[in-house]
Amino acid sequence: MNALSRLVSFLCLGCYSVFAQAVSEISISAAHVEHAMGDAKNIALKVSLNQPKPTVTLHAALKPAKADAQSKPEDWVQFDLTCDLPKSLNTVEARCINGRLKGKRVDLPFNLEINRLFTHHQLDLNAVFNLKNGSFSDEAGLHAAEKLNGTLSIALKQEAQGWQWQTSLDWQAGEVFWQPFYIESGGHTVAANGILKDDLLHVNHAHLKINRVGELDLDGVIRLSDAKLLDLNATLPKLNLSAAYPLLFKPLLGNTAFNNATIEGDAALALKMKNAELQSFALKLNHVDIVDINNKFAFYQLNANIPWSYEASNPVQLSYDHGSLLNLPLGKTEMNAEVNRFSLTSPNIRLPLLDGALSLSNVSAARIRDEWYWHLSAKLEPISMSDFTAQLKLPRMLGKASAEIPLVTYSGGILTTDGSVVLNVFNGTATVTQLTMDTPLGIAPKLNAEIALRNLDLGELTRTFSFGAIEGKLDGDIKALALQNWKPVTFDAMLQSSPGKYPKKISQRAVENISALGGSGAAAAVQRSFLRFFEQFNYGKMGLSCRLRNDICEMGGIESTAHGYIIVKGSGIPAITVMGYNQTVGWSELLARVKRVTDGNSKAVIK
Amino acid sequence: MKKMLFSLLLIGAMFASQMVVAAADLEVNTPAISAIKGSMQSRHAQLAPHYASGAVGLTKDGMVAVRDANAVPLKDRASLNGVVTAENADRAKLYKEIATANGHPEWQAEIQSTFATRWIDKAQGGWWVQGAGGWTKK
Repeated sequence: MNALSRLVSFLCLGCYSVFAQAVSEISISAAHVEHAMGDAKNIALKVSLNQPKPTVTLHAALKPAKADAQSKPEDWVQFDLTCDLPKSLNTVEARCINGRLKGKRVDLPFNLEINRLFTHHQLDLNAVFNLKNGSFSDEAGLHAAEKLNGTLSIALKQEAQGWQWQTSLDWQAGEVFWQPFYIESGGHTVAANGILKDDLLHVNHAHLKINRVGELDLDGVIRLSDAKLLDLNATLPKLNLSAAYPLLFKPLLGNTAFNNATIEGDAALALKMKNAELQSFALKLNHVDIVDINNKFAFYQLNANIPWSYEASNPVQLSYDHGSLLNLPLGKTEMNAEVNRFSLTSPNIRLPLLDGALSLSNVSAARIRDEWYWHLSAKLEPISMSDFTAQLKLPRMLGKASAEIPLVTYSGGILTTDGSVVLNVFNGTATVTQLTMDTPLGIAPKLNAEIALRNLDLGELTRTFSFGAIEGKLDGDIKALALQNWKPVTFDAMLQSSPGKYPKKISQRAVENISALGGSGAAAAVQRSFLRFFEQFNYGKMGLSCRLRNDICEMGGIESTAHGYIIVKGSGIPAITVMGYNQTVGWSELLARVKRVTDGNSKAVIK
Repeated sequence: MKKMLFSLLLIGAMFASQMVVAAADLEVNTPAISAIKGSMQSRHAQLAPHYASGAVGLTKDGMVAVRDANAVPLKDRASLNGVVTAENADRAKLYKEIATANGHPEWQAEIQSTFATRWIDKAQGGWWVQGAGGWTKK
């Protein structure tokens, strides 16, 4: 400020002397001036008195001081300004038009109106700065603006407690990119006032109006030397989320699961910072719909009341009318929890899901070093498999699924379960244990589990998957199952008829299909033998195993033979034995065979 | 004598690291790798014009970086950062998955540096690549 007042005094000194001696023009030039804040060269100051309106013109090339002293020609910025001289010696009212600051990365054409400069020899500035089509950019292009039009008025006055300032900004048009934010057009205003003392900028009150997004009132303190926000009180009574999301939130959400959504509704936010630390905030969401563009999740009519304070624990509420997660519909849900600094606890959260619900209890979550850690107990209240399979576009299965998992933990992006998920399907059970999931919402989610199938009704199973009819019961063990992107990578699977006495019949079509899975290798087909006269056969035992590694399935049956393995072992009359000959088969080939079979286009090879 | 031993050790270490990379199957495929590659492939159409304009360059550590955002209109700069961040997240995951699929998670760093050389070798003329001395136009 000192430098500015000295410059202004110098200018005015010039005025007096000029008038006194009645010269028509005065020119002052300097080749180079150095200062701690920067350098100036080719300075030309001209005062013309012969015109109807006396003017003062200043041209200079400026260069801000830089840490690295390496000077490049493009660092210099040309500064031009022409001002009308004040009509009376008692005022310093001046209008400056066609001012311009122009360099390689900056072009700021402006008008300047100085309404007042001094009161009683004290600086008492009141000026309006009008920018017309300005643009600037830093070297990397990460802070830049184009076609910027706006008006900035500044009032500055020295008072006992410091410099009193008042400003208003009317950003009329133009786009700005200020990493990571992009504001595409104007229509925003700021009005603020406060005190500047030493290194601290006190904002007594500021009112920001962001076009379409909302209005913000704040006060606070900024330390200028490192541009650090020390204290802040802000209230945003009504934030339009659909406008605020792309402008404010999307850039901050970066690479998270929430950065590709559409959002509608309102939010209200109040927050308080003290000594550069967040003290408290209160966030309310009103009738918010948030939908992931890739359909990974959706929540409709979301309402939330989330108070938070560094000092005390607070109750938080969140509810939604309906939604979906990974294609599974979620019903009306209300959640209540207690938030204490960086942790959250809730005795019970019930999430209605299809015709049942997922009930979570003893929920405890904490955010430590920017990562979430949580654990809970989960209980799946019976959901119907027919709805579940329909939603996931799987073949329709009957029965109910229920589960009870004493402990689910999430740590470092990995979800681990302790206990078992029991699905009651096909009149039997499928028990999933040691289930872990890695980044379930990420690009390549991983799942590991062990699955045990017991007493599945083969009749219902074969009807569901349009396999030829088989009567009997099936057991299965799928060990070391690993899925990546929901596709199997490894497993050791063995499917076989359950032990015990029950009717065991297999249709001719099922025989054809099973032998097609084992690969064609033998010549004798049912169609060419007397067996073609029978519709169904008795069997004693059947089984098929696959050990999947590196995309290759090592196949086996219930018994090995010299040339292959037995898949179906006949019993009684008419009996049939189905052999498999392919010891290894590519996983994709096996899937193709299953698809051919279930599509009903198989050719059987029977021995 | 000591000097000679050291040289021998050094040669041995260099040879060993060569062996590691030689032994790693960089073309190994798993559903996770193909999901990541698919994601990178669909992003390539967005990145290719930025490689050509010099806005984005290939770094010497097998990643991509915003080199000169001035080549991109203001309104696209936020998405430019987004696309670069997403690409780097995929690349990091890819190197990790290839190392894991080879049964040697500890090879990740070497696989990454092998890929860095590969990406730069395969870069089209006019793209910017990072060498020991900084950015150069290929």
